[in-house]
Amino acid sequence: MRTALALCFILWGSLAHGQPLPIFDAHLHYSHDAWESVPVADVIAILRKAGVRRALVSSSGDDGQQRLYAAAPDLVIPELRPYRMRGEIGTWFRDESVIPYLEERLRKYRYAGIGEFHLYGADADLPVPRRMVELARRHKLFLHAHSDADAIERLFRQWPQARILWAHAGFEQPEVVADMLSKHRNLWADLAFRTDHGSSGKVDEAWRGVFLRFPDRFMVGTDTFTPERWHYVPGHAEWSRAWLSSLPHEVAERIAWKNGEALFGSAASQD
Amino acid sequence: MLAYQANPQISSFFAIDVAACAKTGPAPKSLKVDAHMPEHRHGMNYAPKVTALGPGRWRAEGLMLHMPGKWEFVFVVDGERMAHALQLSEGVRFSEPERQRILAHGPWPPSARRDPSNRVSGRPAAIALGERLFFEPRLSGSGSILCASCHVPFRAFQDGRARGFGLEEVERNTPSLFNVGLYRWYGWDGGHDSLWSQSIRPLLDAREMHATSAHVAATVRKHYSTEYESAFGRQPPASDEELLVDAGKALAAYQETLVSGRTPFDRFRDAMERADVEEMKTYPLAAQRGLKIFAGKGNCSVCHFGALFANGEFADVGVPFFVAPGKVDPGRAHGLEVLRKSRFNLLGRYNDDAARSTATGTRHVEPQHRNFGEWRVPSLRNVARTAPYMHNGSLATLRDVVKHYSELNEERLHADGEKILRRLDLSEAESEDLVTFLESLSQEPAARRE
Repeated sequence: MRTALALCFILWGSLAHGQPLPIFDAHLHYSHDAWESVPVADVIAILRKAGVRRALVSSSGDDGQQRLYAAAPDLVIPELRPYRMRGEIGTWFRDESVIPYLEERLRKYRYAGIGEFHLYGADADLPVPRRMVELARRHKLFLHAHSDADAIERLFRQWPQARILWAHAGFEQPEVVADMLSKHRNLWADLAFRTDHGSSGKVDEAWRGVFLRFPDRFMVGTDTFTPERWHYVPGHAEWSRAWLSSLPHEVAERIAWKNGEALFGSAASQD
Repeated sequence: MLAYQANPQISSFFAIDVAACAKTGPAPKSLKVDAHMPEHRHGMNYAPKVTALGPGRWRAEGLMLHMPGKWEFVFVVDGERMAHALQLSEGVRFSEPERQRILAHGPWPPSARRDPSNRVSGRPAAIALGERLFFEPRLSGSGSILCASCHVPFRAFQDGRARGFGLEEVERNTPSLFNVGLYRWYGWDGGHDSLWSQSIRPLLDAREMHATSAHVAATVRKHYSTEYESAFGRQPPASDEELLVDAGKALAAYQETLVSGRTPFDRFRDAMERADVEEMKTYPLAAQRGLKIFAGKGNCSVCHFGALFANGEFADVGVPFFVAPGKVDPGRAHGLEVLRKSRFNLLGRYNDDAARSTATGTRHVEPQHRNFGEWRVPSLRNVARTAPYMHNGSLATLRDVVKHYSELNEERLHADGEKILRRLDLSEAESEDLVTFLESLSQEPAARRE
């Protein structure tokens, strides 16, 4: 009986306004190793089936999300990743050739941001990341940083007006995330690949306080870091709707899709 | 006076740090280092290079002692010759943390234990009934498939195929049944939390034995009524499902007796525990070197932990898990769904243990995003007899498995995933040593090399 009641509660929360909560998935990759095993048409079908309203997609290399964007410009918002191959995660920030690559892509295509990139601590102040930040400033782009709090601080010191989407909320504890959001008005966080904020269809109490305090600063995301994980997008959307249903509906809507739409939606509609 | 520090091992280059001082006067100015075997009348095959580190301090690099036995280091300090004898043992030197990890892989076999969730666990009449049922084709819907069709006794209770094949081919490799009584989770995805509930699964799977609870119950009532009464102390119940569960419990009682034998590694491990150097020497040197990689830089024993060489949990080690175009096998993520929905899990009415003492994991396990594509860490006991490997049988030999970890595709692992999973970049010799060690985990007589 308890299980049935819980299920009813979840469904009621998800369908409170008649339809499953739309999802803005803020953390997707369509990298080179996925292009054959999960063709563009399959990706678009998966996203639509999952009820994803829009998707912030980056890939290594950049052709991936350009193919998706060409197929579904209403759905896909491209980000420019400073990796040509996924293996560059740990080397890109010392690789001078990254900058001409970014410049060439920025001349050719339109993006909502630069990222997701992996950058920790003092590496953020190396010449290549500095020049990347300068490019973001020049092109008025978001930075999508998979970083610790130290690197986030350094990025803001380089460009105090930067707008940063903090990937995985830095895998930090809720109180640290709250401190960072309080300190930086232009910092947002995605909750990809973490489960500590929601389990068994219920939001964690410590996180609840942070979500209620900063309802306009969070987004959800699946993180398709291997090709197979594209098939997890629907399951992740359902899982997200479940824990979001234990928040006030307006807050749940913001985190589920409205925050992403407000920040990045205009980038999708320009074309 | 002279002091030195070195960690020589057979056939490995090493350096030696030397400090010397004169009884009176300034520090010595020159040092030559060599090593030789007085009984063999030969020295090293390599000439070390000496570098001064400061007054009276040097480092000599490029030494290599290429065979076990009595060696002498020879130091010539400002023309004065000094010799220091050392016995280079045939064994590999293990650090204390490595030694502790190795000792944790035993003793073997473990003492027998009963499953409290199964009231007939360990009962001889139930074991006998379970063995009969294990080899009973009439349990299957077609009357043609038995448990032993896939769990073949002379193949270490697996089938040697990449993917199992009952009535149809399935997506996963058939695991060995040796030591299944020691597991926490069952199936590659951990969809079951007891051996008896896992034993029910293939009976009902349409691609494996394709039976129904009514069919299994009717078969037991018709052909095994007497044996059932001996095992369970009552006549077969009227409820088909209850009798299906009891059939699973009898099958489990039998499988709990499938314990693998002692191995060359076990003899080495026990000798190490009692500091029996002579017995330790009987363990092949290549296996010792492989063990050092396994318990040392390879970090293999972190997941392949303990006497079972398995920590009982789940991991994503970068094995692709597409099963067909557009279709994946989600692994642990699916297993948790199955577990929670199952009427036969340890939180359900068929658990014979009122205290639910073995249900802690089922009660507390919480789905994580990383579960998508995770598989149960398999035991390595008898591993040389259970090819092919991985959840989908995609690696044919132990060499392929070692190559997988040596050349691990880190791009398939999340940047914030398991930190110990990194490319091992093993040399060819190291890979062979690791394979030799893994082969030594098979019960004697030793398995043949492919």
